[in-house]
Amino acid sequence: MNDERLSKILVGPVVSEKSTRAADLNRQYVFKVLRDASKPEVRKAVEKMFDVKVNSVQLLNVKGKVKRFGQSAGRRSDWKKAYVTLAEGSDIDFASAE
Amino acid sequence: MQVSVETTSGLGRRMTVQIPAEQMDQQVASKLQQLTRSVRLDGFRPGKVPLSVVKKRYESQVRQETAAELIASTYEQALQQENLRPAGEPNIEQTRNQSGEELEYVATFEVYPEIELPDLGDLKIERPIAEVDENEVEKMLEKLRRQRVTWTSVERPAAEGDRVEIDFEGTIDGQPFSGNAAKNVPLELGSGSMIPGFEEQLVGLSAGDSKTIEVTFPEDYGSAEVAGKTAKFDITVHSVAEPTLPELDDEFARAFGVGDGGLEALREEVRKNMRRELDAAISNRIKSQVFDALLEKADLDVPTSLLDSEIDALVKKDSAGADAGDDRSRYEDEARRRVSLGLLISEIIQRNQLSIDPDRVRQKIEDMAQSYENPEEVVQWYYSNQEMLGSVQTLVMEETVVEWVMDQAQVEDKSTTFEELLQQAAGGSA
Repeated sequence: MNDERLSKILVGPVVSEKSTRAADLNRQYVFKVLRDASKPEVRKAVEKMFDVKVNSVQLLNVKGKVKRFGQSAGRRSDWKKAYVTLAEGSDIDFASAE
Repeated sequence: MQVSVETTSGLGRRMTVQIPAEQMDQQVASKLQQLTRSVRLDGFRPGKVPLSVVKKRYESQVRQETAAELIASTYEQALQQENLRPAGEPNIEQTRNQSGEELEYVATFEVYPEIELPDLGDLKIERPIAEVDENEVEKMLEKLRRQRVTWTSVERPAAEGDRVEIDFEGTIDGQPFSGNAAKNVPLELGSGSMIPGFEEQLVGLSAGDSKTIEVTFPEDYGSAEVAGKTAKFDITVHSVAEPTLPELDDEFARAFGVGDGGLEALREEVRKNMRRELDAAISNRIKSQVFDALLEKADLDVPTSLLDSEIDALVKKDSAGADAGDDRSRYEDEARRRVSLGLLISEIIQRNQLSIDPDRVRQKIEDMAQSYENPEEVVQWYYSNQEMLGSVQTLVMEETVVEWVMDQAQVEDKSTTFEELLQQAAGGSA
């Protein structure tokens, strides 16, 4: 688990009603991560980049939507989403981190 | 709201205003609240963006806006509270604007000077008195005759006062120069419209004659190319004509548009015109005396901002002509005079509750219209043109002020003549 890989793990934050709610209520911050990332990797990456303490990580695969343009059907890529629960007293401010 | 004022220099003021933090924060909060309803953000349904997100994104912007609004509204209040009347636009600087802290800003501006109307009791003003006498009218008629001169060709050598039509071609040392030649030029001998010596040498020539004359350009001649040099002119005279002054009779009067009544009516018209001119000259003289005296007695500090804008206006007005662009100092005295006069006049008006009398405005416009062909139309035009009407109103206002000053001051009558007065007027305005 080298540093180079760690810095690539987190693709971006997920900003939505659901994710802000999760952050406000449960200190769970939501990221889009690499498709082959593992929980320990995500934990390390978050702890390193935002200098916080992570309690637990939940991962799930999001299936890409099927989109069609006229007759031709297309499919968006699948991606992996991570819910990262932070320890008490930590939080992430995306606005200042970006 | 806390206000403190310092005097920086004569008329300069520095006003520091503090607005309590609660007031500021409250307004920012309510604005943010309103924003949540209209903000559109990816990932959120419209109107469902949480306040915390909106706050994060928009707070600084909203703060700026609120601060600007608060400053605008409190600035007026603060001025009233401190009883200040600023001249020109203030220079406002925010010194502190942070959440949880009070908003503080510093406005620097100049105030109108306190105007003390001087006591005008010992002011002496000369009122010139003059009449239009018959001699003057005759002189004027003579001038009119001269304007209507008709020329008749004659077969005799040209004399002083005749008009000759000539071709000329000039050379200096055999070389032509710019503007050296012209054809069929009418030239009145003795009118002095050519360089000195030119016309004199044409006296005695008849139609068809040719002559070569030598003329020296004056040292201060407009074109440096030829100034001070001696030129040879080849001259051909085409015709010689002598002037005939029209007879002073009814015919002559008709030519000036006086239909019925003939010569007497014309004379009457001329007299009326002169009378009008005279009245204008007299009131001008009084006015300038009054204004000069006012300026001298009330020594005013003029706010720089007003002075600057006046100078700008003057420069703009003049810029059509000379390229006076950067030379602002030239206008400073004039601008200072105008601004102080404006201040004084408005002060006098306010103190004494003078007002513009609409009847007088009408009278004034009708007076002015008199000298046009269609007085009715001119009057109409004045009333339909706001700008022109405004300028007449200003004029009447000034007159009202002058009259008020005259009431206060001691007026001396001084008799003078028409000519003298008009000459003074011309000299004064030049």
